[in-house]
Amino acid sequence: MTRASDDVIIKALARLLMPFIVAYALYVVMHGHHSPGGGFQGGVILAAGFVLLVVTHGLEQTRKRMSEKLAGVISSIGVFIYGGIGALCLILGGNYLDYGKLSKILLVTPAEARSLGILGVEIGVALAVMAVMYIIFFAIFTAGESPEDDGRAE
Amino acid sequence: MEVTLLLEATENAFRILQRAREHAVGVLDTAVEFTAEETRYCDEKRCRALFTGAQRKKTQIHNFVGTSIILFAFWMLLSGKFDAFHLGLGAICCTLVAYLFHDLLFANVRVGDMRIVTARFIAYIPWLIEQIVLANIHVASLVLRPKMPIDPQIIEFKTKLETDISCVTLANSITLTPGTITIDIKDGVYYVHALSQKVADDLNAGEMEDRVAHIFMEADHLYVQDVLDAARIYQTLRV
Amino acid sequence: MTQFFLFVGVGMCALVLLCLYRATYGPTVLNRAAGISAIGTKTLIILLLMGVIYDRIDMFIDISMVYALLNFIGCVVLAKYLETTGEVSC
Repeated sequence: MTRASDDVIIKALARLLMPFIVAYALYVVMHGHHSPGGGFQGGVILAAGFVLLVVTHGLEQTRKRMSEKLAGVISSIGVFIYGGIGALCLILGGNYLDYGKLSKILLVTPAEARSLGILGVEIGVALAVMAVMYIIFFAIFTAGESPEDDGRAE
Repeated sequence: MEVTLLLEATENAFRILQRAREHAVGVLDTAVEFTAEETRYCDEKRCRALFTGAQRKKTQIHNFVGTSIILFAFWMLLSGKFDAFHLGLGAICCTLVAYLFHDLLFANVRVGDMRIVTARFIAYIPWLIEQIVLANIHVASLVLRPKMPIDPQIIEFKTKLETDISCVTLANSITLTPGTITIDIKDGVYYVHALSQKVADDLNAGEMEDRVAHIFMEADHLYVQDVLDAARIYQTLRV
Repeated sequence: MTQFFLFVGVGMCALVLLCLYRATYGPTVLNRAAGISAIGTKTLIILLLMGVIYDRIDMFIDISMVYALLNFIGCVVLAKYLETTGEVSC
């Protein structure tokens, strides 16, 4: 299951589709506040794109683009963005995730600050969801074998 | 007597010294020769590395710019909001994605033929739709007749297409046409399931394959394209 | 016109039932996989018809694209799994 596929059709199609999948996922994240979608859904689509890459191009190729270590770092960064924005609101004298208070730093009206704050939180959620889904998929896909050692041995 | 012996000994010693000197000169000469060769070889290698590196960097930049332009068009199609904030977000996202995946979209594309391929591909679509409608009517008439005179079979044919993208276009065109489904491609041999003899005959006639080869400038156009590529490289070398 | 789309949607639902029959009683696992992926494409059309009926086509196009994408990836992963475990001869 971890080998690269030798099918020409599915490989070429995955190669062509991959940039569009990632761009679409970013679109879903960025337009989360006035169309369906948002951080979680965008993160899932991003992870789905990487799943497609793993299935068609094999583990080694995918690991060159994103290793498990990088995925761990990205998930931490996502949680940090989410918590950081919340704590920033707390420091500025509001409640946790009270985006209106961000207007003091961003120098915009509170309504715009709310929009921007939600956007930042959604980016954090998307990063965390993508990385965690990717790690879970990797763990299931390699069936519990230590994937990092496996990569070095081959 | 002793004097002659002494003279002989000195002469011998002198000869030995002479030979040693000649030997040393020879060794030094070969050493110098070797180093010169080594340097020349190194220079050549560095030149070649520089040249191929420049070529690769150039194609990488081309791929990056092409990918980001296509993705930005895709983004605008999706978004439908043309204020500065959303367009800026789109530009940032598309540049990021193009940076991460610039080697995927245009892998195995030959140099300098994208516009012609796009135009020919667009011209191919109406013909494909016509074929789909015709095959649809045929299959519907087969299925709706009470006797259902179908003759399922698997046909194999060897293709003359070479790049993966043209193989995929042909396979998907075959699958889109009702009555025929591509099962597998192994080493350039297509395995296609056909519903009836008429559909199989249509496929074996090979018109679709010829048209796909025409889109991607394969088979008959191959050599012209090779000459064009070589001319471009030659021009870069001369400048 | 809304009436027309409504009828088309009902017809699509009937087709989904046929595919569901194949997915439930399919003799082999490949029949089930084909049935499920056919249900996916039918659902996509139904989603778009709902978008036309509710006059929110821009929203439903986004949803249907995600649905198509996940259907495709699910199909590929399922095929790969079946090929690797050797439950069917490929």
